[in-house]
Amino acid sequence: MDKELNEKESIGKIISVSELNVRAIIGENVRVKKQDVVYCYIDGVVNEFEIMGIENNIISAIPFGSVHKLSKGIDIYLKEGGISIEYSDNILGHVFNSYGSLIDDGYIENPHRRNIYSRRLSYDEIKVDGDILWTGIKVLDFFAPIQKGFKMGLLGGAGVGKTVLIKELINNVYKGFNSNSVFVGVGERSREGKELYDEMLEADLLDKMAIVFGQMGDNPTSRSKAVFSGLTLAEYLRDEKEQDVLLFIDNIYRFVQAKSEINSEMETMPIENGYPATIESDVSEVEERINSTDKGSITSFQAIYIPADDLTDAAVQTISSHMDGQIVLSRKVAERGIYPAIDVFQTTSKMIDPDIIGKRHYDLVEEVIKYLARYEELEEIIAVLGIDELSSDDKNIFYRSRKLRNYFTQPMFVAENFTGISGEYVKIEDVLHDVENILNGKYDSINESKFSFVGSMKDVL
Amino acid sequence: MSDYIEDVINDKITEIKEKKNLYDTGRVMRIVDYIVEVRGLENVFFFEEVHIGNKAVGYVSKINDSSVIVSIVKQFDDIFINDEVRSSKKMFQMNFSPKSIGHVIDLFGIDKTTGKKFDDCFKLDIDNPTIPIMERRAVNRPLYTGVSGIDLLYPIGKGQRQLVIGDKKTGKTQLCLDAINNQNGKDVLCIYIAIGKTKKNIKDIYNQLAKKGALSYTIILTADNDEKAPVLSLTPYAGLSIAERCMKEGMDVLVVIDDLKRHADVYREISILSGKEPGRDAYPSDIFYTHSRLLEKGCQHEGGGSITILPICETKGGDITDYISTNIISITDGQIVLSKKNFDKGQKPAIDYGLSVSRLGGAVQEKSMKKMGANVKRELLSYLETREIYELANIDDMGAELQNKLLRGQELLNNFNQYKFSPREPEQILATFTSIMGDE
Repeated sequence: MDKELNEKESIGKIISVSELNVRAIIGENVRVKKQDVVYCYIDGVVNEFEIMGIENNIISAIPFGSVHKLSKGIDIYLKEGGISIEYSDNILGHVFNSYGSLIDDGYIENPHRRNIYSRRLSYDEIKVDGDILWTGIKVLDFFAPIQKGFKMGLLGGAGVGKTVLIKELINNVYKGFNSNSVFVGVGERSREGKELYDEMLEADLLDKMAIVFGQMGDNPTSRSKAVFSGLTLAEYLRDEKEQDVLLFIDNIYRFVQAKSEINSEMETMPIENGYPATIESDVSEVEERINSTDKGSITSFQAIYIPADDLTDAAVQTISSHMDGQIVLSRKVAERGIYPAIDVFQTTSKMIDPDIIGKRHYDLVEEVIKYLARYEELEEIIAVLGIDELSSDDKNIFYRSRKLRNYFTQPMFVAENFTGISGEYVKIEDVLHDVENILNGKYDSINESKFSFVGSMKDVL
Repeated sequence: MSDYIEDVINDKITEIKEKKNLYDTGRVMRIVDYIVEVRGLENVFFFEEVHIGNKAVGYVSKINDSSVIVSIVKQFDDIFINDEVRSSKKMFQMNFSPKSIGHVIDLFGIDKTTGKKFDDCFKLDIDNPTIPIMERRAVNRPLYTGVSGIDLLYPIGKGQRQLVIGDKKTGKTQLCLDAINNQNGKDVLCIYIAIGKTKKNIKDIYNQLAKKGALSYTIILTADNDEKAPVLSLTPYAGLSIAERCMKEGMDVLVVIDDLKRHADVYREISILSGKEPGRDAYPSDIFYTHSRLLEKGCQHEGGGSITILPICETKGGDITDYISTNIISITDGQIVLSKKNFDKGQKPAIDYGLSVSRLGGAVQEKSMKKMGANVKRELLSYLETREIYELANIDDMGAELQNKLLRGQELLNNFNQYKFSPREPEQILATFTSIMGDE
């Protein structure tokens, strides 16, 4: 490293330092562009920065790590190739950081390098249809079915069960799908990241998964890059290995959040709630890369955090407009101990179409939503008048809706620690059959508590 | 004050002996409260300690093209424009003495009860990088708080971050003191970090812990209400820095941070004074990162040690969905929600069992507790929901099954009542609830 230091020529010197913005004056003949990486040495340790803006001969750059001990006049050097990630056939089973370096003790043989920003898709390349993919989670398969190449957003406020759901999806889909996958941890808990790694290792599934972590203890630079490194790996599997890939991103909101932290340090004017004005293009830059081609598909599940339980938040709205379907988790439902805590009125999928899922499924969805909507109204009436005042039709709707609501709870494989009940994978035929029977009154005589946290009704009767 | 001068003189003498007394100087050019802009100081580095005459100590919080921004942490005298500012060539660090256990201390290494500095202080970095992800281990050892509503239903494990959230006067601090009290004889070092509490508060907490004999394993680290804002904002990091050091020696540490809402407000104050763009609710954009990197220090380390953190967050009107609360909820591994309504109804601790969450759940419980906990929780939550629906109904008119459910639910709820400093052992909790639930 020292030899390299002596040989390389400095391109400039640092002139100002703040927590997330290091500015440097560069020589007249140096040509740099946005997204180039520069670095300096402090006590022999390399500190890297990515260039965010250039004004005449002054560059603004965001640091990859802490800026403690940086001072004016320190020499900076240019790193060739920008942020690039090493890849080869044996990326699977490995853990990377946001900047494309391995953080487990492994190494990669004969690697190729690819810049993490390189890929753009054309109309011609993008493929839009694929087979239906059942997840075995009742409420998902029923209200929001997915297909290969689908983009599913899992929206929820803090602590309503996004991560549990994403882990259940990994468990069900990934095990059944028998294909490779990439997990990107963006701004989430390190503990959960490590747990996922350990669980995958234990279940012997790690050799089919590559993991990228830029977790919440990392600075915003890292959190804003993790998703690009993860995408590059997924694209490699799709384009060069010609595979169907599963991509899990937990949590894409944190990417926008990191961007707004950087924006604020760059002293550019923010829009509402401190988000950067470039929010739409920032999100598009990521989402447009997640697509399927003739070579392979990328099916993605993206957790989307809802700040302050505000579904109209600019970041949430921007991200969810890119999704093919969304599952919304609600605190009101979670409070009642109903998990997964799905708000069925907000949950949608473009697959809810009689031509795709069939008329029977479609009609049932319509009917159930009608029941549940009436139930909400009835709840308010009951709070004032009591149940006895309802008409017999409404009473039926009331009791059957409560059964439906309970029926759509499900014991999850990954939540055994909370429920003490082992997980269930439920087939869609069973779900349709059970829902039909609840609606037509066949199960009227069964106590509603029998419907909670079970698989299909076959197991209960 | 006299202590301070003595320190400065001693430091200087050693520096002269080591020939390190070649300082950069600058002059004060702008003063905004505790944020000072300085001209000169060409060679200071980020987070370097600087001195303004003998009047104040601060650290470099920003280096501009032609000036340096200094945040003041200690001030002894008035600062004027053109006062001389000296660099120190040292990073701003905290002082910590191994003798701190059983004392009320601050990050300068002062024993607050006597006002004297400990004589064996050493320097410690305040903000260390987070523990790398691959050095973390699964959280699976229980940390018993002695509160049955927590130990049975929303258990806490060693290395977990569990938020305690609720309105003013709902027993948040008391719940954490109960948890500290219950660590007696369990080989856990406790650090209570107070941010912006009154001196009266601190004395009260000190006396309570002393009475219970909890001081032999507890450090109270405080940044009082009347300290400079930068001190308030750095103190939780300083506390975690002590904890990290102990964890790496293989110890189990329990850290209480009281409270993070106040910390967020202090951080907002500093940001706005420094001219940062305000975001949602006028908090700066990096408020999430401010708390996430703090709380990410809690973990089960590969070396065997652990840091368990109980951050406290104050809410208004029972609303846990405001910006700061949801931010912190999204960082922690669960939350204990305390409700004013329950508190007024005489339910103590006033835990809202519907809104509380533990993301680790049974993973940190022993088998028998895990089984009982899952059963009790399901029944209790179902009771609470049913109770809400049938609030207006007359219990005498109900069917036998429903009547039983309601009665049993109420009995369960009653048995979670517990007065302060009256911890229950896991065996005791199990026995109580087995007698209600039966041997299922």
